[in-house]
Order: sequence, then C-alpha cells, then structure tokens
Amino acid sequence: MVPTPALSLNMLIRKLESISRLSDEERRAIERLPITGRHLAAHQDIVREKDRPSQCCLLLEGWACRYQLLSEGKRQIFSFHIPGDIPDLQSLHLKVMDHSVCTVTQATVAFIPHEALRELTAAFPGIAAILWRDTLVDGAIFREWMTGIGRRSALEAVAHLLCELYVKLEAVGLARDHAYRLPLTQADLGDALGLSNVHVNRTLRDLRDNGLITLHGGKLQIDRWQELTGLCDFDATYLHLDRGAV
Amino acid sequence: MSLQLQPVRVKTGSHDTEGQLVFTDGLLVAVLVRLSEDHEGKAGMWFLEAGFDGAEERTHPTFADLDAAQEWIQRRLDGC
Repeated sequence: MVPTPALSLNMLIRKLESISRLSDEERRAIERLPITGRHLAAHQDIVREKDRPSQCCLLLEGWACRYQLLSEGKRQIFSFHIPGDIPDLQSLHLKVMDHSVCTVTQATVAFIPHEALRELTAAFPGIAAILWRDTLVDGAIFREWMTGIGRRSALEAVAHLLCELYVKLEAVGLARDHAYRLPLTQADLGDALGLSNVHVNRTLRDLRDNGLITLHGGKLQIDRWQELTGLCDFDATYLHLDRGAV
Repeated sequence: MSLQLQPVRVKTGSHDTEGQLVFTDGLLVAVLVRLSEDHEGKAGMWFLEAGFDGAEERTHPTFADLDAAQEWIQRRLDGC
C-alpha cells in the first residue's frame, strides 16, 4: 500500500523534532506539504549522478545509500540511510547531483517537491535551521568516515561502522539491546569502507570468533558493546544526538 | 618477461594460509593466497594479499585461478 501523506509527514515531523522542537504552526505547515509516496525495490536508483531533481526523497521504510560508480565498475558508498533521513536533501540547493542515491533494501519513500520545501523554509526559518543542522551532522559523519577509510585498520573500521549504525538506528527506535537487522552485504560494507570482500569477511569472522558480535540471518547482535566501542575508539559525539547509546 | 611461482604458507590471521610468492626476474612482486572454505562462494579462488610496483590495488582483487592472477599481475607490470 502506498503510504498516506499523513503517515509520511509524521515521519518527517518526528525526524525534525528529534533535532529541535516544532511549534504548532510549523507542524501544521509540514502537514500541508504535497507529497507522493512510492514503494521501491531493493537496489533501485532513486536519483542518479548528473540528474537535476525537482524533489527530495524522504525515506520511510528500508535502507538507502549514497554512492558513486568509478571506472571498471568500482563503487564507493558514501553513507547509509535509514527511515527518517532525506538522503538527497542537498538537491534543494545544489542543482546537479554529484553522486547517486539508491535503495539497499525494499523501501518506501515519499517525494517532496523542491518548490514546496523552499516555500516552507522561507516561511519558517526554524525549519530551515533544523534542515541546515541536519546537513552539518551529515558533514560530521563524512569526516568520521574519512578517518575510517584513511586511518583505521579493517577491524577498527568495520567495528566503528557497526557501532555507528546501532546508535543511529537506536535513536529512531529501530534497534535496541545492542541488536539490529543489518541488511548490508559484505560487498556493501567493503564498498563503504574501501576494503575487499575478503578483508570484510575475515574481519567479521574475527569479531565473531572473539565473541564481540553474533551475526546470523541478517541480524546483528553486539554481545560486548564496551569492548567493541573500545576496540575502534567509537565516540558518538559526531552524531550529535541528544542521547548516546550505552 | 615471465613470472615464477613459489609455494608458501602465509599468516593472514585467518584460515587462508596456502599461498604463492610471485617473482619476476628474481624479484618478489606479489603474494597470492588461496581462499579457504570460510569464503563460501569464493573458496578456492586466489586473493592478492600483497603486490608491489603497480601489481597492487587498494581493494585487493580476487581471481578465479592462478593463471588469471598471473595475467593480471603481468598486465600491471607491463603498465597496461
């Protein structure tokens, strides 16, 4: 079933309110946004590099990622996205896409026309500030990923990403007790961290053999959170959530 | 120019221990490792554990067999 506008916009309101409180007037303005809901298959492009989109995509269900294809079919994944995220928010102000966005799993999305978002942010500077803050947090996550790709060992980089995903998912109620559904393949993890599949496989095996994680049937259980975070110096400050997972 | 292989056991921190040193003109140019059963669909394939002078890649490639690995290494050494 295609999502109803009310349900979709509630997701957006929840996301924005996780950053800052909205006034009743702001909430009503968001509820009036004209949106189009759609179901998408896994591994389907939502927007491609060089596109000039006229709408932004709010992720309601499922996972998505930002990526770029290189020659010889190589792929770099820049970020993973979970429900509540607007992975192509930058297209509101940057006309041409400099990367692509695709679904990782089956997903439900809501498209919001740029024009409506522009009117909303012009009328409500508080909402514009929240979206701005969201893109700054995005930047903070990119900096952390640079450190991961450039300076962490394969073991530390994989551990760090598993911790990051847990804290992000827990913050939107999609993970608890240090467990979550991890729909990423070893190839996805490799493409995100600049590692070969073989190294990702060896690393996950290492983490499992050392009793830090259990990974079975697409479900990840972090059995020893303190040790896993200690191993990769994970500090959730860069996610700028009000409360961190412990 | 041709490549010479020399069997070796490699400590990779995993079950992938069966390896081949690859030499060109007496100089070590790559270390290949045969992937163990841990890698399921890729078990038996050859992984470029290390490579030198162009026979390397950030995300280390995997090859179906030793011939394919040697072809790739030779191409890299030839600068193709």
